[in-house]
Amino acid sequence: MKRIWTLWLPLGAFALFLLFPFYWMVLTSIKPNEELISVTANPFWVSRPTLAHLQYLLFSTSYPRWFWNTMAVASAATALSVSVSFLAAFALARLRFRGAEGVSLGIYLAYLIPPAILFIPLAEVMLKLGWFDHLWALVPVYSTFLVPFSTWLLVGYLKSIPMELEEAAMVDGASRLRILFQIILPLSAPGLISAFIFSFTLSWNEYLYALVFMSAPGNKTVPVGLATELVRGDIYQWGPLMAGALLGSLPVAVLYFFFVEHYVAGMSGALKG
Amino acid sequence: MARLSPVLDRTPVLATLLLLPAAVLVGGLLAFPLTLGVLLGFKDATIGDPGSFIGLENYRYLITDPVLRLTALNTGLYTLVTLVFKLALGLALALLLNQRFAGYRFWRSVLLLPYVVPTVLSAFAWWWIFDPQFSFISWALVKAGLLHHNLDFLGTPWLARGSLMVANVWRGIPFFTVGYLAGLQAIPKELHEAAQIDGASAGQIFWQITWVLLLPLTTILTIFSAIFTFTDFQLVWTITRGGPANATHLFVTLAYQRAIAGGAMGEGAAIAGFTLPFLAVLAWAALDALRRQP
Amino acid sequence: MRKIRRRTVLGWGLGMAAGTALAQAGRSEPVFKPEKDASLRLLRWSGFVKSDEELWNANTKKFTEATSVPVAVEYITWEDVRPKAALAANLGTGPDIIMGWYDDPHIYPQKLVDVSDVAEGLGKQLGGWYDVARTYGYSERMKHWIAVPVGGTVECLTYRTSWVKEAGFDQFPKDPAALLKLAKALKAKEHPVGFALGHAVGDGNNWTHWLLWTFGGKAVEKDNKTIAIAQKPALDALEYAKELYPQMAPGVGSWLDPNNNRAFLAGEVSVTNNGISIYYSAKKDFPRIAEDINHSPFPIGPVGRPTELANFTQAFIFKHCRFPNAAKEYIRFMLSADQAGPWVDAMNGYVTPALKKYQELPVWTKDPKATPFRDGIARMLHNGYAGAPGQQAAAALAEFIVLDMFADATVNGMSAKDAAARAENRLRRIYRG
Repeated sequence: MKRIWTLWLPLGAFALFLLFPFYWMVLTSIKPNEELISVTANPFWVSRPTLAHLQYLLFSTSYPRWFWNTMAVASAATALSVSVSFLAAFALARLRFRGAEGVSLGIYLAYLIPPAILFIPLAEVMLKLGWFDHLWALVPVYSTFLVPFSTWLLVGYLKSIPMELEEAAMVDGASRLRILFQIILPLSAPGLISAFIFSFTLSWNEYLYALVFMSAPGNKTVPVGLATELVRGDIYQWGPLMAGALLGSLPVAVLYFFFVEHYVAGMSGALKG
Repeated sequence: MARLSPVLDRTPVLATLLLLPAAVLVGGLLAFPLTLGVLLGFKDATIGDPGSFIGLENYRYLITDPVLRLTALNTGLYTLVTLVFKLALGLALALLLNQRFAGYRFWRSVLLLPYVVPTVLSAFAWWWIFDPQFSFISWALVKAGLLHHNLDFLGTPWLARGSLMVANVWRGIPFFTVGYLAGLQAIPKELHEAAQIDGASAGQIFWQITWVLLLPLTTILTIFSAIFTFTDFQLVWTITRGGPANATHLFVTLAYQRAIAGGAMGEGAAIAGFTLPFLAVLAWAALDALRRQP
Repeated sequence: MRKIRRRTVLGWGLGMAAGTALAQAGRSEPVFKPEKDASLRLLRWSGFVKSDEELWNANTKKFTEATSVPVAVEYITWEDVRPKAALAANLGTGPDIIMGWYDDPHIYPQKLVDVSDVAEGLGKQLGGWYDVARTYGYSERMKHWIAVPVGGTVECLTYRTSWVKEAGFDQFPKDPAALLKLAKALKAKEHPVGFALGHAVGDGNNWTHWLLWTFGGKAVEKDNKTIAIAQKPALDALEYAKELYPQMAPGVGSWLDPNNNRAFLAGEVSVTNNGISIYYSAKKDFPRIAEDINHSPFPIGPVGRPTELANFTQAFIFKHCRFPNAAKEYIRFMLSADQAGPWVDAMNGYVTPALKKYQELPVWTKDPKATPFRDGIARMLHNGYAGAPGQQAAAALAEFIVLDMFADATVNGMSAKDAAARAENRLRRIYRG
């Protein structure tokens, strides 16, 4: 009985606050235009749900293409950054060398730079490298903010693996590289999964670089595509926009549901420094 | 591989090799452009014209610019207020979820969604929620007789700031909740049980045991959240573009507006430059706090 | 009507060029000979109405059939065209042709191909350019045309005839004082007016600049250096706005461009400024409202002549384009009568062309309610008036200096003097050196 006050009521309040916008998104996606624009109708319900917005989104816009682009870039950027971060985190967490602190600081600081001001000079760098307007170029670019974050995450994780394992293996004559790949790597699996999930999420969340560095129509990502093509001057197509937003949130949400434990564990590992 | 091993086993060599990919990526695609970007703040470059070096002129002007001052105030306010709410609510939710109850796994997953969903997409939803004509909040309040006409969520400065803060808090609670959940699970149950046996009230248990033990974590979460909130762009830009009349501008949105929309790249870079010292301090504090972790 | 999927036109171009005979282009004979193996990339703003893109794509296809030059058309949201174009200018790579807005070409005129031949040719053929079009297309600095004007998304005051009548006005007001009277009467009848005071790039800028100019105010003098925004005429305009604001519907301070459309169609406001999109939306979805809608040009204030601002679009070619002749021919082709006519028709006159001959298009008279939009370009002043188009005027517009000044005086409750002083401070900064 007491639980109603200490648990269910507050939980319900949180659930309402945190989940209502999603209900709103779903509702808007299936509400026909006349109901969307009516000031008198009850906004919490829909009387004649329609799939028209979804149809429009999937068949009259390039949404499927954007979806594919975002998936591809996010996956590749994640794979690249987690690999690079793993190596770097190992060095920072388990090797003692001068300058480790400095490098750590450098990598953490790197995460804080606002992309909104970085992208003009970055565009010039991309151009000189011949990467401008190539979708795959987003992969290394995204890594610039994924690597610092993943490294931080993995350092926390790797620090918790006992040194005795390494020492024992070295006594047995194993090289450090072998130790890295055959002992540490498997043990880091949970941390790596966390890093994967965070990186994937952050990639899907990116907007500015994708907007600016990609020029050709076939190269858009979901956030960019939705923001730029479902807005016709002074008419926002809320139905398809929300449908697109909903669909666009699915990959990360699904991934997240399967790996919640790792998400939580990863963060806690990271926050332990 | 056998012959390389001894070389690779030497710590400096191995460390360098392992750090090289990260260093190249971050150095080439971030540090280098960043330096260029910072230098840009000392020029009068526009979008069509590389401009020339003008020293501290941009900064000198910006310090006297009332819009920049408003932006600085607003960014500070935005960061601080949302922080307090995110922390309090995030912790509260963590405490709730930390109890064992039927379906807690499901709830834990589902309640962390706001953080996971791409920002621009949820920003669109919030914009629709704050619409001056069609907000369901206004509709409900008017229907309940508490209001006479719709709330102008985004049209008056203070209400606009408040609305954006609500959206930001909504998004940020899970960050604190996840962090605190992990922290709470690390607190040994025996401490609570012993205190209860000693007759401590729930309040005393919380403030004198739980809160104290969570302080290091609180410090870290706070600092990181402050960093991310301070440099927020997508949420504010999508919903208000910094309006009404510059009331909701953050440093990064103002920098973007002046540099890209307005073409004054040097000045925009200088505006962004204002954030860097602050961020550096926060980052150093974060590193320090992390090092102190038990 | 066959639904045209929005894939890149490149695909079509290649397909069609392979098998079809050269289609006749009617009276639009190729004037500029495209280079061998040419291909083009056009960056333009997303059509405000769907039929805009459909016709543009169809016309592009015709071009490819006639010249074997494939054209890839990229549509992006209109606010993003400037940054994208600027980036392309900066980097010397990217789209070949841009359909930009306002001062865009004047920001980097040295990076653009001289299009005097195209512009002058079209002018001769199609009745000449409106003066303001020439201001936008011709560069005083470079002494040649740097862009070919296309047209403007003309705005008119859109109003509910029955409500205006109910408020005691048989004719729509022709001067600001009468408009204020009308607004007060409408407010009393609970059908308030509504004008955007949020960062509505189109609607907000358009009506505030009209207001400023119609009282004789201006941002900068002809010398492009002296800031005039704090002088008496501007202050008069601000005082007027301060009287108009309380008559408006609540929420205008947060209005971006879509808001007034929605409010009007939901019956929340009786008068607003907009392009023709509200009317055609209504015809499609809210026929009863559509019957009640009518349009009027902006009223004329003490200055005695029309002083409207509308989003103006022009096409320009980057020097990094490898096939400038093909690009010129494409622009010429698309703006010629056989293509532009149907294009303007299909989008119901959403863009009023900058060439005078297009006044004769049937779309302006087929529905008499559309006629006020026909002469909008003639009523326009250019952005940055009375100075010249260029980086400074573009920056001032992009930063909403005029709009924010009016918002400061109304939504933020500042005095006219203070609001103008703030704007003056910012303008001085922009127009320095």
